[in-house]
Amino acid sequence: MKDTQSMRASTAAELTILTPEGVFFRLPLAGPPSRLYAMLLDTAIVLGTVNGIGLLIYWIFSKAPGFGFMVITLAEFAIGFAYSALLEGFWNGQTIGKRLFHLRVIDQDGLPLKMEQAWVRNLMRVFDALPFAYLFGGLSVLTSPLMQRFGDRVAGTLVVRQTPLAAPPDEFWMRQKYNSFMDYPAIAMKLRRAATPELATLIQDALRRRNELAAYARREIYRELATYLQSEISPFPDELVERLSDEQYLTNASGVLFGDQRLSRVQG
Amino acid sequence: MILDLERFQAQARPRWRDLESLLAALESRPDRRLNPAEAEQLQELYAQAAADLNRVTHGTMAHELRQYLERLVARAYAELYYAPPTRSEIWQPRSWLRIFTAFPETFRRHSRYFALAMLITLLGCALGGLAVHYDPASVDVLLPADYLRDPGQRVHEEEQGQGRHLHSAQTEAAFSAQLIRHNIQVALLAAALGVTFGIGTALLLFENGVLLGAVAVHYTQQGFGLFMSAWLLPHGVFEIPSILIAGQAGFYLARLLLHRREDRNVRQSMREWLVLVAGLAMMLVWAGLMEAFFSQHHAPVLPYAFKVAVAAAELVLLTIYLLLIGRRKIGEAARSTVPSENR
Repeated sequence: MKDTQSMRASTAAELTILTPEGVFFRLPLAGPPSRLYAMLLDTAIVLGTVNGIGLLIYWIFSKAPGFGFMVITLAEFAIGFAYSALLEGFWNGQTIGKRLFHLRVIDQDGLPLKMEQAWVRNLMRVFDALPFAYLFGGLSVLTSPLMQRFGDRVAGTLVVRQTPLAAPPDEFWMRQKYNSFMDYPAIAMKLRRAATPELATLIQDALRRRNELAAYARREIYRELATYLQSEISPFPDELVERLSDEQYLTNASGVLFGDQRLSRVQG
Repeated sequence: MILDLERFQAQARPRWRDLESLLAALESRPDRRLNPAEAEQLQELYAQAAADLNRVTHGTMAHELRQYLERLVARAYAELYYAPPTRSEIWQPRSWLRIFTAFPETFRRHSRYFALAMLITLLGCALGGLAVHYDPASVDVLLPADYLRDPGQRVHEEEQGQGRHLHSAQTEAAFSAQLIRHNIQVALLAAALGVTFGIGTALLLFENGVLLGAVAVHYTQQGFGLFMSAWLLPHGVFEIPSILIAGQAGFYLARLLLHRREDRNVRQSMREWLVLVAGLAMMLVWAGLMEAFFSQHHAPVLPYAFKVAVAAAELVLLTIYLLLIGRRKIGEAARSTVPSENR
């Protein structure tokens, strides 16, 4: 129980910014797993690059392997820090790994991070990586409300999730001409009042993903949702409900929830 | 409160799309600069999107729409309130070369943290030295296995080993790289440990001091003082100050974190920490090269007196560099560099 609670808290973590214009917006923070994957990928890229360069250098310095070793050791060390710092600094807070996992490092004021911050947070890795396997950094992320590792705390940065989002499409249930639920304004109002945003989103998602769901799963989900709405929230008259499929029931409910909020809408 | 979400979206969607394409264009630009017309457009579209977001926030049902608008407003906000460095600022060799004067300047500006680092190291030295002096058996506890060997044997080995070293500049190169890397890692850790409010930095410096004091007294007691000076000083005169500067950076960072709220210019402070780290890294590169290519050669190839003299010369140069470079500029350069940058 405790576990699921902390999971929910950490997935729901977000940064709230109040702009000078008096508008709030929130940015979802990235949790440890995605950051770990991105870091592993970046490490693989750095190792690959270094080894590639290393082969080249060994070939160039084939007469002087000691100098070749020297160049490689130093290059590896420098690239290890410079890779993340320079990419984050110049590429608006993203390394290749972060870009693939839809992460971005930003300033904790919601602004793009600056070069100094990129260097500081990456040099601080020597501390975050202690005593082994990024234990300090991980503990810091788990205890910080902004999910910052120590490098982030010092540099004043944080990592946000940035999955691409498109503007919500026009939904078909908003366009439907006639919604039989609107004939019962009192019950429809009840539905609108009682439905939580989570429930509304659930119904919306269920409808929108209609074609992604297997037929039996769809039937089952729609039946459960419709039964729940009908029995717990909005008891529309039986003679109406009997004529509707579960899917139509949910479509109508969505129309009530998301469509024109004026119930006196001219019907037909 | 939005009465008709559908109509609201239909009306607003074109301006969101405009904002999106403007942002996409800006974000793909390397220097992220706006021309005046774009800035005006961005300002206007941002204000509208923010207002739209405000309206949606109070309606509970439009969860997705709100997420989308939040993302949009966040991006526009970032572009609008962030002054990116121009490309000419980033790619100017002169600004990169400034590190060579910025380092000693920063070093002097925060010299009290250097003094603190030095004090702690000296305390450690005294403790280590006194312990070995009064209780030679404590060497076993204080020194890691590598140094535990009888100094006489070690000196003998070192002096015998010189034939091997002479032949292989290759080995020395590889050795120097490992030294540089290891030393920078340790120094960086000392600087980063400032995040423990300086406690970690202090412990690291103290431990380092104990080691140093113990080794020095132990070798001197056995009559190898000159050998040890000649062996350790040519690189030590750079290595030890650079660890002290790492401690300085660590304490500076600790103070920075403790007084974060009062700090008006966090960015500048961070830059100073970075300058200190970069400077000590340069010093450690030199120290590593000296340690591998110079320190490991012993008499009769290189007389001990000569090695100590080289070390002394290095120390003088380093002191001059750290104490004097950039100093006279304070008055003059302020006048001479400002016009040249405006050109």
